[in-house]
Amino acid sequence: MTERRIQWQQDLKQFRERMGGISESKKAWAKRQKDILKAIRSALRGGPMTVPALAAATRLPARDVLWHVLALKRYGQVVETGLDGDYPKYGLKEGSHESPGGSGAGK
Amino acid sequence: MAKIQAHYDGAVIGGGIAGMQAALDLAGQGFRVLLVEREPSIGGIMVGLNKVFPTLDCSSCICTPRMAEAAHHERIDLLTYTEVEEVRRTDGHFTLRLLKKPRYVVEEDCIGCGKCEQACDWFVPHEFDYGLGARKAIYIPHGNAIPQLPVLDPEHCMFDGACARVCPKNCIDFLQQPERLEVKAGSVIIATGLKLTPMEAKKEYGGGRYANVISPLLMERMQSSNGPTGHVMRPSDGRIPRSVAYVQCAGSRDRTIGVPYCSRVCCMYALKQAILIRQHHPGTEVTLYYMDIRAFGKGYEQFFRRALAEGVRVVKAKVGRITEEPDGDLVLRVELIDEGGRVAEIRHDLVVLSQGLIPAWRPVGIVPARLDEDGFFEVPEVTTRPANSSVDGIFVAGVATGPKDIPDSIVEAGAAAMEAAMYLDRISRVEAEEAAMSEVSND
Ligand SMILES: Cc1cc2nc3c(=O)[nH]c(=O)nc-3n(C[C@H](O)[C@H](O)[C@H](O)COP(=O)(O)OP(=O)(O)OC[C@H]3O[C@@H](n4cnc5c(N)ncnc54)[C@H](O)[C@@H]3O)c2cc1C
Repeated sequence: MTERRIQWQQDLKQFRERMGGISESKKAWAKRQKDILKAIRSALRGGPMTVPALAAATRLPARDVLWHVLALKRYGQVVETGLDGDYPKYGLKEGSHESPGGSGAGK
Repeated sequence: MAKIQAHYDGAVIGGGIAGMQAALDLAGQGFRVLLVEREPSIGGIMVGLNKVFPTLDCSSCICTPRMAEAAHHERIDLLTYTEVEEVRRTDGHFTLRLLKKPRYVVEEDCIGCGKCEQACDWFVPHEFDYGLGARKAIYIPHGNAIPQLPVLDPEHCMFDGACARVCPKNCIDFLQQPERLEVKAGSVIIATGLKLTPMEAKKEYGGGRYANVISPLLMERMQSSNGPTGHVMRPSDGRIPRSVAYVQCAGSRDRTIGVPYCSRVCCMYALKQAILIRQHHPGTEVTLYYMDIRAFGKGYEQFFRRALAEGVRVVKAKVGRITEEPDGDLVLRVELIDEGGRVAEIRHDLVVLSQGLIPAWRPVGIVPARLDEDGFFEVPEVTTRPANSSVDGIFVAGVATGPKDIPDSIVEAGAAAMEAAMYLDRISRVEAEEAAMSEVSND
């Protein structure tokens, strides 16, 4: 097991080099994603919210908020809790993992 | 990867509904078939649709059993994530040069557990959900995908090794390379299907620019129970719309964008989606702005009547321009044909552009069969042999020959398989006769 682990770590290094490493724009993309998810999670700790309310709370564009909320929903970290007028409300799923992206089962 | 043989009776290119049906019909007659699909899963457009007109049956419920049957058939070998680089005729058969793209996963070892996807931290716009849903940088294409195998997308991989760390089978292979294969086939069936005209094709409609001007394929995903949203909603702010407009012929019957023909399914898919919006959100108004309603198939005229009875509004009008309001609403400038050409500005909160169908693959110089001017495969004897291409031994089915619906694609796939079977029989008899003749002349 240890041997194979070492093997993939070496392979990963080569893979990363072959793919040209992590560019500045990729770094920026990843940082932005982390920041948005952190802001959304932190706002939702106060209870379920609609996308416009979340956008106001996080000062992010509603379109970006929606996309990230849907991503969290797909991977089981956020659930829809009902409607507020014509807007679905989203809340944190209890006990969901807090890593930046992962941990829910993809459909 | 499936064990690939050196020679098949038939190679089917394209694993949508037409290609799967053609493969099944040919294999069902005892022939060995190779089915080649360029995406990571078979199923084509149909597996992502919500329901099908005119029956409103669940699309994936019809499509997935066929996918499973094609993938597990004892006489069909399946190659996914594979591009066809060349098809050429070489003494009595066809030679296909193929390029299997790396998934960075050892297919034989992977059990499709999805742990790699769960462990990956990076969300990426999902092609299957037309960008509104997310996938990870390593992902199984969707719940109904066949094969249920992940693909790693190097462009979004952050090289943190999270996937490899959790893989219980140690089957992430970062050094996997594209693999070149060559196979021979007695006959070829091409069923490479459709893509839609680009959203940006008609600049005056704001597709690709305005968040709430969307594609009908995104609408299908939003209406699907396994779709990204769970509701029809505005991509700008997540609001369930109260007023939806369909702009018909927004990419067909239009010489200015090089698509002079009718795409044949847009009227029906728009009516279908409109009925379903009304059923789920009875308070939402749906208006179709159309030039002509073409409801040509079995049960289609009744389906149109049903849409009207369910409160879908149809307005004969030309949409000249769409502009966006600060709140994301859209104003359509329309010429109302039935009101003597009066021009009106009408506000909606979501607009669907009924984009036209164009060929997904234009293999000029790759396949010897000729294409028509519009890029679909030429069918020289269209009235009498609708599945025959310009090359003896190469057959065509589904939208690869021109826009059509699922029933017509399936019928044409059956015809292509039958033509291929007759061709193979003819070739083998000719070969047997030639062998007998040469034996006689040797004696
Ligand atoms: C929004 C929308 C809604 C629709 N709703 C309905 C409906 O309700 N009812 C109905 O009857 N019809 C409907 N249709 C039409 C339906 O989608 C088509 O009739 C059907 O998908 C045609 O099947 P096909 O196999 O020919 O093509 P596709 O579904 O496009 O499949 C082609 C396959 O070939 C693969 N491929 C392409 N190029 C290559 C290559 N070079 N090498 C290998 N593989 C390749 C593709 O990846 C794909 O998997 C709808 C269409 C749209 C756009």
